[in-house]
Amino acid sequence: MRVLRARGIVPIVLLGVACGGAGCGGGTDVAEVRAVSERFSAAAEANDGERACAQLTPQTRAQLEEQEQRQCREAITGVRLEAGSVARVQVYALNAMVELSNGEAEFLEQGQEGWRLSAVGCTPQKDKPRDQPYDCQVED
Amino acid sequence: MKALRNHTLSLFFAAIFLATLIGQAFVGQDDFNHAQLAHEGDVISLGRYVTSSEYWVDVLENWQSEYLQFTLYVVGTVWLLQRGSPESKELDKAGLESDEDQLVGPHADERSPRWARAGGLRTRLYSNSLLIVMGAIWIASWLGQSVTGRIAYNAEQLDHHLAPVDWGVYLGSSDFWNRTLQNWQSEFLAVGSMAVLSIYLRQRGSPESKPVGAPHDATGIEG
Repeated sequence: MRVLRARGIVPIVLLGVACGGAGCGGGTDVAEVRAVSERFSAAAEANDGERACAQLTPQTRAQLEEQEQRQCREAITGVRLEAGSVARVQVYALNAMVELSNGEAEFLEQGQEGWRLSAVGCTPQKDKPRDQPYDCQVED
Repeated sequence: MKALRNHTLSLFFAAIFLATLIGQAFVGQDDFNHAQLAHEGDVISLGRYVTSSEYWVDVLENWQSEYLQFTLYVVGTVWLLQRGSPESKELDKAGLESDEDQLVGPHADERSPRWARAGGLRTRLYSNSLLIVMGAIWIASWLGQSVTGRIAYNAEQLDHHLAPVDWGVYLGSSDFWNRTLQNWQSEFLAVGSMAVLSIYLRQRGSPESKPVGAPHDATGIEG
C-alpha cells in the first residue's frame, strides 16, 4: 500500500529537507502508530489474543489463521514475541515502521480501520535491510 | 477582446496545462487505486490523492525536466551555434554580444525596461533574469521531486517490509535517477530535434520556423 499525505509543495519540501534522514509523518499519524504498537505489545504480554488481533490488519489476521489453522486470538498467543518498547516511529504515506528497543521491527498500514499492524516480530536480513525484506514472525 | 487576442498564446497553454494537470489527477488516482486493490489495500479519495507525494512526485519530475531544458537552452544558445537553424543565433554572434546590440545602459531607449537602463548590478541581474528564474524553478522542482519521491519510495519499501532510506541515500538511488533521467532524455531529444529539424522543415507563419522559402543554410531567422 502506498500514498503519502502531502499538504502543499512548499511545506512538503521544507519538511522533507528538515527531516533529513529521519522519517517524518504527521504528528497524529505518528501518535496513532505508536498507540497501535503499544496496544499490541500490552495485549501480547497479557495473553489477550482478542485485543492483540484487533491491532492486526485483516490480511495479517487471515494469513495467521491460515498458517496456524486456528482462530487468530488463539494463534497469536502462541507466537513468541520479545518484549520491547517503541524506540522509533517512521511514517510514509499509508505505511509505517516501528522499531522496538529489542531490535525488532513492526510494519503498519493505514486502512479503513485506521492504522493496523501488517507484520510483527520482524528482524532485518543480514546487512541489507533496504534490499531484502525483514524476516517477520507474523505478516500478511 | 483585442487585448485578449494579444495574449492567446499564454492563455491557450495555461488552459491546456490546467486541463492536463487535472486530467492527470483523475487518471493517477484511478491508477493508484487499481494498484491498491491489487495489493488488497484500501482506495483513497481524489482529494487525498492530489495532496499525496505519489501525485506530486509524478508532477514535479516532469516540471524539473522542463525547466532544466529551458535553462540549458537559454544559456546554451548564448554560445552554441547550429548552422541553418532558426533556433540558433547567426554564426558570427556567439557570446553575450555588445551593449549596443543588447540595448543596455546608455544604449537603452525610452521603452526599454527600467533595469536595462539602470546600469550596475540591476542591469547585470536583469540581463540574466531569464536564466536565473528558469534555473531556480528547475532546482526547486528537482528538490521537490527528491523529497516527494523519497516519501513515495519509502512507502513502497515499508509496504514490502523493507527498511526506508534517508534523503541522502535516496539521492543516490536508482529510483531517483530513473525518474530524473527518463525525463531528461526526452527533453534533450525534443530540443535537439527542434534545432535540427527546423533547418530543413518549415511551418508557415510560425516564429519557430524559417520562412518557407528561406534557404537551408540561413541561420537565426524567423518565419
